Amino acid sequence: MSAKAETLLWVMQRASAAVLGLCVLVHLGTMIYAVRGGLTAAEILSRTRGSAAWLAFYTVFVLAISLHVPIGLRTVLGEWLGWRGAVRSGLLFLFALAMAFTGMRAVIGVYS
Amino acid sequence: MRNLALVHRLSGLALAVFLPLHFWALGQALDGEARLESFLRWTDQPLVKASEWAVVLLLAIHLTGGMRILMIEFLPWRDWQKTLAAVAAAAALAIGLLFALSSTAHAQAWPHKPVRFVVPFPPGGATDISARLLAQKLSEIWGQTVVIDNRGGAGGGVGAVEAAHAAPDGYTFFFPSGSVVTANQHIYAKLNYDPEKDFVPVTNVVSGPQVLVVAANSPYKSVQQLIDAARAQPGRLTFGHAGIGSQTHLAAENFVNAAKINAVQVPYKGEGPSLVGLIAGDTTFAVTNVAAAMSHIQGGRLRALGVTSKGEFAQLPGVPPIAKTLPGFENTGWFGIMAPTGTPKEIIQKVYLDTKKALESSEMRARFYVLGLAPVGNSPEEMGAAMKKETALWARVVKERKIKVE
Repeated sequence: MSAKAETLLWVMQRASAAVLGLCVLVHLGTMIYAVRGGLTAAEILSRTRGSAAWLAFYTVFVLAISLHVPIGLRTVLGEWLGWRGAVRSGLLFLFALAMAFTGMRAVIGVYS
Repeated sequence: MRNLALVHRLSGLALAVFLPLHFWALGQALDGEARLESFLRWTDQPLVKASEWAVVLLLAIHLTGGMRILMIEFLPWRDWQKTLAAVAAAAALAIGLLFALSSTAHAQAWPHKPVRFVVPFPPGGATDISARLLAQKLSEIWGQTVVIDNRGGAGGGVGAVEAAHAAPDGYTFFFPSGSVVTANQHIYAKLNYDPEKDFVPVTNVVSGPQVLVVAANSPYKSVQQLIDAARAQPGRLTFGHAGIGSQTHLAAENFVNAAKINAVQVPYKGEGPSLVGLIAGDTTFAVTNVAAAMSHIQGGRLRALGVTSKGEFAQLPGVPPIAKTLPGFENTGWFGIMAPTGTPKEIIQKVYLDTKKALESSEMRARFYVLGLAPVGNSPEEMGAAMKKETALWARVVKERKIKVE
């Protein structure tokens, strides 16, 4: 892989980490607010359903995870197992797609 | 530093396994019908709870390492400052997450406090009896007390207003008899609640016929004798009921209309008090719900002359159908659950499914059977459709009978 592509992955890894740090804090704050406010799971779901803002937030959350995890795995596989090349990249790409799919399915369940 | 990077990678690997599983399980739980049910079942599983804790710890560890790495790469801080900042941030995050999770474990399952059923009639009537029987069973299922709040008056209107103004948080439900939500809007010129806008259907609990009763010492021994007496002295006979617009009022009006007699209606605050008045001789007859009259009939205080079902009613052997005297006559009453508009759909669905489950138990069926009531347990959509049909019927009857309260 070219140096340019490696750099791009490095930037994406850091950028997604920063986004995730923020998302985790918002998610945590929401949970604390909801639980301390006495909202039940049903009430929480009734508020998230139909809300475009929550849909957008959790979509960003899931997509950031789907980006961050495979890039991290790529580094670990390369450095620890010496596994590099197109097969590794292809499998990790499929893994990223699977994570995005399952994550978005959960997000849509919370939204609709 | 090297150890921190190793821990960061190991926790990252564990999260790479956990997170897809977490997404998949959550997606499965939230997919399809009865979502809340499956969601709550899912979160209640010990394995899921354990994995939630594991994810929290892994996240805290992973973020600590990640923040440390970001700081080394982007911030010109000294080593010990970076480590301290990263550990403090991660500790705060972990404590917050653990706090949120432990609280969530208590708050997720509905209901987490007593649930209130507002019954718009005083104790002793069929609405009250049905609500109490169901409440007992639902209390067992939910592990929370279901409180019966009797608010009688105005033909069910007092209780309806109380329930309509309650917070739609899933902890207050309305338990009316059918006419309170299908007939009152046609009878009362001014109604302080709107059955269609203030409530949404949950499920019809039970239905059953009514029974024409007189006091045990009454001279009337049959439906025909009562009709003959009313025709001989128009406007002298009286009938008591649970309040204007109540199911027992409309059933009696239906009978009076079919028999082509003239009798004077006497409204009470509920079905129970109307039967006490009948036994005391204050009124001549009543067309009341079997559930409310059964103990009085069995106790020899009331005499049953006829039932409003098409044929003979198994729980009242020997009592002929009114239809034998007045061909084609039939009248059915029902009692159901409604929720204040805005109540979360998931809770409505859960109440419906749990009520259905409660009604399927042989113990409940037997208890309602002896009261002359048949379990229904239909869906909110089916109940809504049936109510729409019944509302149109009562609109016509009320207009024809000129029943109006200004």
